[in-house]
Amino acid sequence: MGAIVPELVDTSVPRLAAGCRWGGTVEAPVVLFPEGAIRVEGTGRIILELCGGHFSLAEIVQKLETQFFLAPKGKIRAEVQTFLEQLHAKRIIDY
Amino acid sequence: MTECSNPLALIAEITHRCPLHCVYCSNPLEMISRNEELATADWLRVFGEAAALGVLHLHLTGGEPLARQDLTELIEGARRSRLYTNLITSGIGLSRERLSQLVEAGLDHLQLSFQDSGEGQANWIAGTRAHAHKIELAAWIREPRIREHGIAFTVNLVVHRQNIDHLEEMISALEALHPDRMEIAHAQYYGWALQNRSALLPTRAQLDRAVAVVAAAEERLRGRVRIDMVVPDYHARFPKACMGGWGRQLLLIDPAGRALPCHAAGVIPGLRFDNVREHALDRIWQTSEAFQKFRGEDWMLEPCRTCDRRKEDFGGCRCQAFLLTGDARATDPVCELAPLHHLIEDAVREEAATRTFPPPQQAPFHVLQEKMAGFWSYRTDPK
Repeated sequence: MGAIVPELVDTSVPRLAAGCRWGGTVEAPVVLFPEGAIRVEGTGRIILELCGGHFSLAEIVQKLETQFFLAPKGKIRAEVQTFLEQLHAKRIIDY
Repeated sequence: MTECSNPLALIAEITHRCPLHCVYCSNPLEMISRNEELATADWLRVFGEAAALGVLHLHLTGGEPLARQDLTELIEGARRSRLYTNLITSGIGLSRERLSQLVEAGLDHLQLSFQDSGEGQANWIAGTRAHAHKIELAAWIREPRIREHGIAFTVNLVVHRQNIDHLEEMISALEALHPDRMEIAHAQYYGWALQNRSALLPTRAQLDRAVAVVAAAEERLRGRVRIDMVVPDYHARFPKACMGGWGRQLLLIDPAGRALPCHAAGVIPGLRFDNVREHALDRIWQTSEAFQKFRGEDWMLEPCRTCDRRKEDFGGCRCQAFLLTGDARATDPVCELAPLHHLIEDAVREEAATRTFPPPQQAPFHVLQEKMAGFWSYRTDPK
């Protein structure tokens, strides 16, 4: 019974899940969720800032590839995918 | 003075009044009455002070927080202070219209408690007819006009000997309400639950089955519903890191404004709790005697004092240590290394002994109270 777990594909549009939002301070931003918060820095922060429901996975990967043009081909896609899938399992990201 | 970090969460017990009489309630046995409760303005000031101190999450609880007519105002104030606002509720007193008001005020997360899957059994545990309304409320929470505000919805189920054998049905029943999260929390033995321990403590065999049921549900619901489980520490080898350590991450304000390191700290004799009516929150957090008392490691006795695990579990729960051994500094007897660990082993053995429990029954509260006397005590409301 019930819905099938959505798969993360190029056209998926990742966004913060219900009850999850930005908090903390500009210097030390966090993503708040029902029973906790994660401090986001570095690449994680860059990815999450793109998860506002405006960009598809393909667009997010493209933006990161432009920014980190020295990274080996395919590596960024794989890392973004794993990162978002982990946050999806924790019900912090929806797509 | 022991160094301290900032608290991350504030538990606001805004009232002890509650229309339910749950036998596992974690409120103290001696409750605070309505005329002693903090005023709206006091709470709003405390929320601002908490945010300035670094608190991120506010948990509005009780009693039943909906018993406060100013709840919408409190939520608005909390959001103005940039706190993540969580309402822990039985749902009794929440109409469709009031739900909209709370959500429009900026509520981030609503946690709705359930006592069991079947109506009769659930009402028997709660001592009142509450179940049907909860089901109706859950449907309102999932209506698009509420969902569009981006609120997270958790269903919470307190598990114990009287309902643990049908955990599978309970999970299915709750799944049908489409929550984002499911919290399966075994009763913790403080307050009313400690008084009723002989009726509530599950056997080892019951617990092992429940753990398997939850693991299967987690697998099945992965990516749809997040399941968080709190296991009963009586069956563990080592104690829980209660509240993430005394005075390290959380503080609780009771309905009368006393600041406590946890729900149960009031039971420890000789602890002096400062009140937010008289002191600013940062001062209470940093210097009040109650928060200082078990910070750091200087207070520890052996075997905690020289144990490698002391930085992980901080010696376990101070309140449980006091309630079971009479000494709040003692190693939590849950720990297999504790000199008084046999207290837990004895309790588990005694409570596991076969005994006949009366079947669930439906009756007005005062009749239930009488019929169930000698088996368990229902939580009663403050005067």
